[in-house]
Amino acid sequence: MQPRGQLRSAPRPGPARPFAPPRALLPLLLLLLALRGAAATLKDPGTVDAPEPPSPGMLQQAARAALHFFNFRAGSPSALRVLDKVQEVGWQVDPTRGYQVNLVFSTQAYHLQDRERRLGRCSAQVLFKNQKPGPAVTVRCAPLPEKHMLREDRLLFKQLKQLKGALNVSSIPDDYGNIDPSLRPMWDLAVLGSSYVMWERTTQFLYYYPLRISSVKQWKTSDHAIDFDYIILLHEFPTQEIIPCHIHLIWYPGKWLKVSYHCEDMQTPEASSGTEEGSAVAPTDFSNF
Amino acid sequence: MSTVPPGVVQGISPVEAMLAVGLLHEDEGRGVGVITFFRLSQLSRHHEGGDCKGTRLWRSSQKAVPRDNLCRSLAQHRKQVVDKTGSPWKSLETYSYNKYHPMEEIYQWMSQISEKHAEVVTQHFLGMTYEMRPMYYLKISQPSNNPKKIIWMDCGIHAREWIAPAFCQWFVKEILQNYTDNPRISRYLRNLDFYVLPVLNIDGYIYTWTTDRLWRKSRSSYNNGTCFGSDLNRNFNVSWCSKYCASQNCEDLTFCGTGPVSEPETKAVSSFVESKKEDILCFLTIHSYGQFILTPYGYTKNKPSNHEELIQVGQKAANALKAKHGTNYRVGSSADILYATSGSSRDWARDIGIPFSYTFELRDNGTYGFILPEVQVQPTCEEAMEAVLSILDDIYAKYWLSNTAGKVTSTTVLLSLLWLFTSLL
Repeated sequence: MQPRGQLRSAPRPGPARPFAPPRALLPLLLLLLALRGAAATLKDPGTVDAPEPPSPGMLQQAARAALHFFNFRAGSPSALRVLDKVQEVGWQVDPTRGYQVNLVFSTQAYHLQDRERRLGRCSAQVLFKNQKPGPAVTVRCAPLPEKHMLREDRLLFKQLKQLKGALNVSSIPDDYGNIDPSLRPMWDLAVLGSSYVMWERTTQFLYYYPLRISSVKQWKTSDHAIDFDYIILLHEFPTQEIIPCHIHLIWYPGKWLKVSYHCEDMQTPEASSGTEEGSAVAPTDFSNF
Repeated sequence: MSTVPPGVVQGISPVEAMLAVGLLHEDEGRGVGVITFFRLSQLSRHHEGGDCKGTRLWRSSQKAVPRDNLCRSLAQHRKQVVDKTGSPWKSLETYSYNKYHPMEEIYQWMSQISEKHAEVVTQHFLGMTYEMRPMYYLKISQPSNNPKKIIWMDCGIHAREWIAPAFCQWFVKEILQNYTDNPRISRYLRNLDFYVLPVLNIDGYIYTWTTDRLWRKSRSSYNNGTCFGSDLNRNFNVSWCSKYCASQNCEDLTFCGTGPVSEPETKAVSSFVESKKEDILCFLTIHSYGQFILTPYGYTKNKPSNHEELIQVGQKAANALKAKHGTNYRVGSSADILYATSGSSRDWARDIGIPFSYTFELRDNGTYGFILPEVQVQPTCEEAMEAVLSILDDIYAKYWLSNTAGKVTSTTVLLSLLWLFTSLL
């Protein structure tokens, strides 16, 4: 991954063409190349099938994937973020690896009533691997009030431990979009688990949002973890399909988030995240953007 | 007139089914005889008066009943139904525009609205759904001698997008509450008629209330009843069913139907809109979710001739929307900012010559999706209203203000030339 502002490798369009500029022109050529490199992107317009800059749709894809991944890695149901605005910073195509988008985006709190005036800001590099889902994501977000998040999560953990009748839950939210306040922590936790699934399934063309918990299969709480087994309905774009995904997660604030899942349209056996340490990603300096 | 079998109308009580009535009437001057089946509770004064004359009526017991007797008993039954139920919401005064309403309530609301505001609102029959339900639109029109242009709005082409029909009702309410004393709105009605179809995919909408909240398509039956529904917004006759833009497989949620305009709902809308296309200036189709104002096209990345203008007007509308509650809506062509689609009503409308054609995708953008909390109905409708009013302002200015300005300008130029000429003599 090359640092921003420097020369990026232009994609090679097939067999290499021999190119030997006259010696006198070399310094001029180098100067021109350096100047082009100072611009945000570098493409070769002379090629027949030159790759194109990311479309607005692709940018949104990249931002969504990055945010799902961030939400999962943060491992905090109280700190779930949603996308606000997206801006491309650079892009790069490597036929062997895939299409990489560099971007910055702003975020808001997940629930409307929690939305502060100050937006969160993130920068990310997202590599859509050729024909494969689960883009490689590097993402940093700020501001991250880690202590605050942990406090909120611990409160949420307590509320969840006291929850009665979790197994009787049939639909969150109900048909009118209502979520009982006592069940909202369960919804947040379910969305957190689904973030992993949605990130893993995202490609350049397919993306997801969580719609509803349709049933709770298992609910076990202890002092050490919440063990939550549920079916969540994901809305898939652009097919418009509703995909039921059976997710099993184990969570403890600030420590554990383990997610395994099986979606109803999957051919392959269960995918699992292994044990991830839930930790907030360190903030970064945004003065360059 | 041929014998008509009893209408099959699902989702009504057995008692009401027995009182289903078939009315044969002329369809909006197209000279077609249509049998419409109503539950008696749906009949409004319009139908009683107009349709009882010169029509043959059947009860579902298939016994022809003398005309006058049946009309009287229809009126009686309707009164009984209203009196018996007597729930508070049955009155227009207590109708809540902040909630989602089932189809029965929306039918009731339409007839009550057209009764209460009979001086400007009339309810019109558009066609029948697959499951034999009547499709109605409301026409809001201030009587006058000058010819009018038309603004068309439809909601709920996709069944699960409940916020859309809620917005159509909100829009009608706002126009009717404000047209007498709000100059911005009253001037529209001098030159414009509003045609509002609150629920386009009625069968699907009812299905989301009775069976599956996340149903999207219509409820037509295929493959011997093993597969249901077309995506009505892939069924219009514009680049129909092109690859990657729609599906040819009935199992899929973007199934384009068995042919362009194969579905009765699509046929009803497109025949009518086609017949009025010379007068329609604006075609708005309301969906959720995503927070977009989308311009043509979805079936190609090429742009219509007035693309710049559509974007400009759309962006101004999005700004007006954002000013209300801070919500961000993105503006652009479907193919550019969303994904490729073929056979959409908006693209079709543009291609038959309707200049301002937009798809609105209302709140939200992924938090709740289709299942938008009821508490957000009001703010969503308020902000979307600002966007629509902004578009109407621009249309009004373009067609009725710039003409005047144009005349002034050309007169000024002419006078200046005359003065110049005379001063040179």
